[in-house]
Amino acid sequence: MSKNRLMLVLSLVVLASMVLAACGGPAATPATIVETVEVKVTETVIVEKDREAFSTPHPILGDLRVRQALSYCTNKSDLLASVYPLISEEARAGLVMNTFIPTSHWAYAGDANITIYPFDPAKGAALLDEAGWTLAEGANFRTNANGDELSLKFTTTTAAFRQTWAAIWEAQMADCGVRVVRLHAPASWWFGDTTGIARRDYELGAFAWVGQADPGGQTLYACDQIPHPNNGWEGQNAMGWCNEAASSNIKLANNTLVKDERIAAYTVTQAEFTKDVPSIPLFNRTDTFAYNAALTGFAPLPGESYYNYNVADWAVEGSDTIVVGFTQEPASLFTLVEDAFVANLAYTFIRPLQTTSLNYDFQAVLVKQLPTLENGGTTNNDVEVKEGDMVVDAAGEVVALAAGVKVKNAAGEEVEFTGGTVMMKQLVSKFELIDGLTWEDGTPVSSADLELGKNIACDPASGATSFITCEKTASAEFLADGVGYVQTWIPGVQDPLYFIPVWPIYPAHVLGTVPAADWATNPLVAETPLSYGPYKLVEWVKGEKMVFAANEHWVGGAPKTPNIIIQFITAESAEALLINGDIDILDSTTLVGLSEALVAAETEGKIKTLINPSATWEHIDISLFIR
Amino acid sequence: MSTYLVRRFLQMILVLFISAVATYALLNFAPGGPLQGLRQIQQTGRTTITEDDIARIRAYFELDLNLWVRFSRWLLGTPRGPVVIGGKEYFADLVVGCRKPIESEIIDENGKYQNVVVGCKEVVYMKDLVGRRTSNGLVRGDFGMSWRILRDRPVSDLIASRLPKTLQLIGIQTLLSLLIGIPLGIYSAVRQYSTFDYIFTTLAFMGSAMPTFFFGIVMILLFSILPKDAGWFYVPAGLSESVRNYTVPGLGEVIAGSFTDRALHLILPVAVLTIVNVAGWSRFIRASMLEVMRQDYIRTARAKGLGDKVVILKHALRNALIPFVTIVVFTLPGLFSGAIITESIFAWPGMGRLYLLALGDYDYPVAMAIFFIIAVLTVIATLLRDILYTVVDPRIRLS
Repeated sequence: MSKNRLMLVLSLVVLASMVLAACGGPAATPATIVETVEVKVTETVIVEKDREAFSTPHPILGDLRVRQALSYCTNKSDLLASVYPLISEEARAGLVMNTFIPTSHWAYAGDANITIYPFDPAKGAALLDEAGWTLAEGANFRTNANGDELSLKFTTTTAAFRQTWAAIWEAQMADCGVRVVRLHAPASWWFGDTTGIARRDYELGAFAWVGQADPGGQTLYACDQIPHPNNGWEGQNAMGWCNEAASSNIKLANNTLVKDERIAAYTVTQAEFTKDVPSIPLFNRTDTFAYNAALTGFAPLPGESYYNYNVADWAVEGSDTIVVGFTQEPASLFTLVEDAFVANLAYTFIRPLQTTSLNYDFQAVLVKQLPTLENGGTTNNDVEVKEGDMVVDAAGEVVALAAGVKVKNAAGEEVEFTGGTVMMKQLVSKFELIDGLTWEDGTPVSSADLELGKNIACDPASGATSFITCEKTASAEFLADGVGYVQTWIPGVQDPLYFIPVWPIYPAHVLGTVPAADWATNPLVAETPLSYGPYKLVEWVKGEKMVFAANEHWVGGAPKTPNIIIQFITAESAEALLINGDIDILDSTTLVGLSEALVAAETEGKIKTLINPSATWEHIDISLFIR
Repeated sequence: MSTYLVRRFLQMILVLFISAVATYALLNFAPGGPLQGLRQIQQTGRTTITEDDIARIRAYFELDLNLWVRFSRWLLGTPRGPVVIGGKEYFADLVVGCRKPIESEIIDENGKYQNVVVGCKEVVYMKDLVGRRTSNGLVRGDFGMSWRILRDRPVSDLIASRLPKTLQLIGIQTLLSLLIGIPLGIYSAVRQYSTFDYIFTTLAFMGSAMPTFFFGIVMILLFSILPKDAGWFYVPAGLSESVRNYTVPGLGEVIAGSFTDRALHLILPVAVLTIVNVAGWSRFIRASMLEVMRQDYIRTARAKGLGDKVVILKHALRNALIPFVTIVVFTLPGLFSGAIITESIFAWPGMGRLYLLALGDYDYPVAMAIFFIIAVLTVIATLLRDILYTVVDPRIRLS
């Protein structure tokens, strides 16, 4: 409240200053501002935490039958049709989500192993009747024996996309006799650090998760990840869902290194998840691409967001240049500190991914192989650790081993360290780059480049956000007889993605002597990084374009198209520019879906469109407990 | 006159200071900011953000310093450490911020949980500022470093990259608006209630009423997409220049980046802005002219037997332009700030888009620089207006 008042006062001061400027009259004194700031400080009041919070089951949603009924009453295809009206029914069916992992993912349990809730309002109604929520004759909404109406608060963001499908869902629930009271809150509140979901401030809450090649899920579905006043709101299981089988299996899935074991554990978790319905998975969003009809080789795939992974294969007959439209300009190409998607996408033209995750699986690109336990590239050794050694404890934190610290021993049991030594697991992986990788100036990529990558990534002066990889690294030995390194993790690191390369490649012969603190401002880092990929960056006109030309030293040979240009455009102009032939590719960061203009242009043969299931999927979380 | 100018100059400084304080405070108290979402990253498992990481990032953006210290460093480029007089350091242990705040949870009046800062685990002293990067201060023309849009590089570089395009666009459209709007307004006033006047008035109202975003899209459709499809002469739909050569019927091959290419790209955005401006300005001139034409001295001029041309251009127009000066002079801040909507529709890489981006991306140094420059230009325009009044109207004296 005081913040609002403060904003109001400040706004008035701005207006007043403008008026004064216009009138040439006497100016206001700044005293008001000082006064207002003081109000904010003195208002701080501390109260006791509510230690009994969230221990009472939700009076309506605590009943499994009600949750199942809500699932049966949800017509996901119609929700999809409301937001993607121009895609076919068949395409819509491919976007429906029945669990927290998409059907094309390696960790998907399979239809037979989960409970699927097809749209069946009659079944939903029967379950509600059984739960005591009946529909009186002539009434629109169900009531219980006490006469209480079946009314639920539904919270989500103000985004037009969610307003659209939420309105349809509200109607679907009304058809089943459930009143849904929609609250569209600002995203800043809904996703705020101390508000909305983070404080479990909802009954039914809709938002999206982003799926990844490694599905993770421990922080979302484990019993010890339920945010609560007593644990400082740690964890993301805001539903309050605690199913012991699901919890232990999601932890196993996130901590075992054997893929088959992971698949089995994910299967159990998904079975329990769909049985208990703590959340209603709805649908994948779409990744929509529109491109010049003459473009070939363009093949975005689900699971890999960097759709330019195969840029060397792109070609437009009769053209030596392909123009990609970006609605956001990279802030810097120092991707260690600038993590925006567009920056990484532009960076990938000059420094390709070391691995890809096409169709939610992993493929080696710049490394000779993914060093797995199965192929011998990685070993998981038993090592003896003693007090003071850095380890990852049972909770996943990097700590110095001391009495009282709980760790997982080599047998996988959680034990408390009391002194002496303890045997723990230690992963050691050997990463080797492919032969012939060369910088655009003709210098071969060397192990020194990888060593520089590690040094910069682990130097706090570089401006990098997180150093957890560095903290978990016991040592990295850079190969003298090849290009690569042997990565030794500290004992206790049992990351399922151990086979993914960890260090970036930087040109030591150019930047080896530049202090980490200067990297962010160094043009050779931020603006014109040296390339070892299919293209090199030759010009970056701020606000307008980035011009790439084929890198003659690229190990993969000459790319099919000599020039690539990233043209910075606006969302408002994007479709017109594509249809007019000014640009060749619009990606899913620009297109929220198909438009009639795009469909018409495709019909006329000017462009092609491609709709992939996005990694982002919408769902409605159900709060199982109340404060 | 000189006393007046000195007085106005001092007032301008005061106004600018208040603007600087207010805009700085507004942006710093607004929700969001560069730390938004860090706590969420903290909880996603694979990437762990520790308390030290947050402290380091806060320091990177100077968010660990008290607001007045930050403001002073932004405005004046000081303090940069203890004051040294005669080799002795003063205020070295003065607390100027908090590196690691202690947060506590409260339940507010609405029963919602809120985090509030209740103390400080690790303070920042004046001596800790030594060696920290900072700008030389706004007063020395240093706007600092961009946080997001051109991360870690000078805001002035960013502005310099966009300003020429905006000057080009707004400059040309202002000139055209004046060249077209004033004669149209005069003619319409002189031929009041004529067919031309009715048509012009209708069109002017349409031009004023039509939203730029709609008008722009219609123009793209009518003069770019449809004629291109039909094989007729067309103009590019957007951008400031092409990246590859293209052929325009009737014009032949246009070389990307050539003068012709750039001129063609200017046509649509300039046309939209000009039409909208002409509609408003010509109506203003028309009304002003009509007002003046009813004055006695115009009647006297006519009675003296002066020709229409002399009466209108020499006697009426000069007086009708006096109020118009107030409008025209305020195009000065517009020359810098650009046209947000038009630039967006035509993907014009100018200041308007930059301004929008800076606010959306929490790039406060960029947003504050733009705010401040607009404020400076606004006060200059105000002064200019007052001085111009004395030029166009000899009855006015500044004192």
